[in-house]
Amino acid sequence: MSLIHVNNLAKHFKVLNRREGLGGAFRDLFSGDYRTVKAVDGISFDIEAGEIVGYIGPNGAGKSTTIKMMTGILKPSGGEIRINDHVPFENRIRQAQIMGVVFGQRTQLWWDLPVIESFKILKEIYKVSQKTFDEHMGMFNELVGLKALYSQQVRTLSLGQRMLCDITASFLHNPQIVFLDEPTIGLDISIKAKIRTIIKELNTARKTTIILTTHDLGDVEALSHRVIIIDKGKKLYDGDTKKVNALFGAYRTLKVQVNDFDEGTLDALKNKLAEQFGATNKITVAQTEEFWTDITIDQALTPLSEVLNCVMTNFSILDVRIVEIAMEDVVQRIYDGALA
Amino acid sequence: MRSIGEYIRLYFIIEAQYIKARLQYRVDFIISSIGMFFSSLITLGVFWVIFDTVPDLAGWSLMEMAFIYAFYMIAISPMQIIFDHFWQLRFNLQQGNFLKYYFRPLNMMFYYTSEMFDLKGLTQLFVGTALLIYTASQLHVAWTFGRVGLLFITLFSAALVQISIVVLAACAAFWVLDSYPVLGLAWRLREFAPYPMSIFDGAFRFTFTYVLPIGFIAFYPSQIFLRPEEVSHLTYFSPVIGIGLFALTYWVWTKGVNSYTGTGS
Amino acid sequence: MRKYLAFTRGSFMVGLVYRFGPLLSLIGNFIYLGVAYYLWHSIYKNSDTLRSMTFNETFLYVAIGSAVFILLKTYVDWEVSYEIREGIISTYMTKPLDYQTYILFTSLGQTLMSLMVITIPTLLIITLVFKVAIPLGMGTLLFPLSLLLAFVISFCFDYFIGILAFYTESVWGLSTTKEIIILALSGALIPLQFFPAKLQSILLLLPFQTIYHTPLMMLTKPDQDPQIFVSMLIVQVVWAVVLYALTRLFFEQAVKVLRIAGG
Repeated sequence: MSLIHVNNLAKHFKVLNRREGLGGAFRDLFSGDYRTVKAVDGISFDIEAGEIVGYIGPNGAGKSTTIKMMTGILKPSGGEIRINDHVPFENRIRQAQIMGVVFGQRTQLWWDLPVIESFKILKEIYKVSQKTFDEHMGMFNELVGLKALYSQQVRTLSLGQRMLCDITASFLHNPQIVFLDEPTIGLDISIKAKIRTIIKELNTARKTTIILTTHDLGDVEALSHRVIIIDKGKKLYDGDTKKVNALFGAYRTLKVQVNDFDEGTLDALKNKLAEQFGATNKITVAQTEEFWTDITIDQALTPLSEVLNCVMTNFSILDVRIVEIAMEDVVQRIYDGALA
Repeated sequence: MRSIGEYIRLYFIIEAQYIKARLQYRVDFIISSIGMFFSSLITLGVFWVIFDTVPDLAGWSLMEMAFIYAFYMIAISPMQIIFDHFWQLRFNLQQGNFLKYYFRPLNMMFYYTSEMFDLKGLTQLFVGTALLIYTASQLHVAWTFGRVGLLFITLFSAALVQISIVVLAACAAFWVLDSYPVLGLAWRLREFAPYPMSIFDGAFRFTFTYVLPIGFIAFYPSQIFLRPEEVSHLTYFSPVIGIGLFALTYWVWTKGVNSYTGTGS
Repeated sequence: MRKYLAFTRGSFMVGLVYRFGPLLSLIGNFIYLGVAYYLWHSIYKNSDTLRSMTFNETFLYVAIGSAVFILLKTYVDWEVSYEIREGIISTYMTKPLDYQTYILFTSLGQTLMSLMVITIPTLLIITLVFKVAIPLGMGTLLFPLSLLLAFVISFCFDYFIGILAFYTESVWGLSTTKEIIILALSGALIPLQFFPAKLQSILLLLPFQTIYHTPLMMLTKPDQDPQIFVSMLIVQVVWAVVLYALTRLFFEQAVKVLRIAGG
């Protein structure tokens, strides 16, 4: 029997259809026009004890909804979940005792209290023995130098420090499963790396199962052997991270800010790149946010430096950023048959 | 399951820390306590202004009204001190940070309640107690052991009624996007709790006795001490009403907690 | 001006998104009116007029006062203090916007929304359900103008409390204290005529009475000498200008402190 068993899981919500404009807002006051949103629509998987699984997908894919059902907050509309052979929703308190949860942006520590007091309260809440508490606090201290933060109020911690505290706190009571939702969101590269190392070590120290939802493929690449990709409530892929990496690890998105951007700029960029690197180079050019143009390339086919050079010499560029491929692009490429 | 004793112990551990942290913001604590003190005085002043114009209200003298008002101030204090941040429930729900309360192996109402302790509410408790002692002596209330016991029981039930009304109103946020009007109504209704129910006609008196029982926050229980000979039998039901209403509130809270889905995908 | 009016329209529309809010406010206000009706009825039991106010006038005063209360409750103090504490305020500094004007116009949208769904239905309830006639006259015409000035004055108090967040950790205590002081001293709960004469003359010198007492008197006693109305409006205008300027100065001072100290 696997630790987590999910079979044909579904969650449907009713949502009010809103209309546009002032008149629409008025008419909405009396509207009964609902539609059903299938946030999770028939997902199945099994997770064994000790695994780290990346659970990824673009915004609105149904990741959080699945996690909420696994943590016992939401009742599924259909299908089944069994954790340790129990249904999470039936006994929230029992479920809470065996799991730890970290939600990226929102701390679960006591905002106004010094860090150490939060840990002491958690010790009482989870009935952690003094021995285990000392042992774990010692381990956390070795891993992240927690002691230095003991007397600081949680509200005064930097985002990175707070995340370190939140993550270690979620392991304090030695849970069987830890859910990490966007643990590296908004953090800079060096802290990201540190957080990844710590998650890995905490996983090996106690064989804790970790479910990781993230936007950052780097997290998955660094941490999990297995990845589940979902979109629009359905499972797209479930398998080896290496296979996904082999496909997308080489992709990079070059974000550029072009001076005097106008309607012709996108085409000009496309033509120039096609001219330089040939039409079958799989380079895509698109504008995804204001002022920024995205050029996505496969490094296996075209060296990043050459593309950058080509763009810089032919256009007046104000600013450049290089980012990993976006989740939305990954999903699009899977639909296009990339992993088939 | 945890025993009540464990919860009480946990409550004191968390609250002790919380109070320690709050006291670090001394300026804010002092300002709000002074503010609370003046608020109590001003509302009392408004009362006095009305009685300055008319000698009595439906047969109740100023001193009697002041006793009812003192009872009221004490009865609403536990709500202020322990349950006050239920006002914020709607923000917690809208912004999605309510989710964290699901993740601990604790009773959720306990966990939510334990996150705040409003020290300045103590000011109101003190003013109310002082006023109750003063008015009782002016009115020559005969205190026997039985009466003092009754005072504690009725205050406890009255406090439960007040807590239930606020928590119930706050729970509307589970189903209604902008629940402020419900809370606003609950807050404004309690302003009428210290007035004699006898000024109201049929429908309203019925509502304030049986539907939104604000009559039990101060007026009905005070009668036991002010005019024992006129007390209606209903008054002795106040513990039942307090406990029953709180049970209903807890049930609604549980329903709400189960129906909440959180924000974000 | 046009860009600020766009904010007014925006917040007005946000108000409409919340479908049940207006309806519940209205029901809540209806219960409140009922309670007030009985309370004042029993106060007026033995006399037709108290302090030169008839029952009709007093009830009208209290009832409209409760609607004005909802109208003026725009949570500017909470919003401003939140934006200061979370540091959101600095993002406004980089935009071609005047922060105070921006907040003023945003909250005006909310107020207009409440005016439509609360105040106007309340007037209907007063006449149709409670059968209290609303007298008409010069004051009735001036009431909207006076209400707008009251809105600006009330805004200044809220805004001032909001800016105090630069100095204190939370404005909870200050905000509730302000609300109770305004309610008691402005004649929102009981008409100023009921206060003892000496206290009354002091209260008339303070700005609070211009928020409730002034517009409410225009509505409840609308056929007075126009001269009285004019002087009431002048007092309102003066307070509005003075308070707006003072809060503005205070804000600039606070921001200066912030810039030096960092934050």
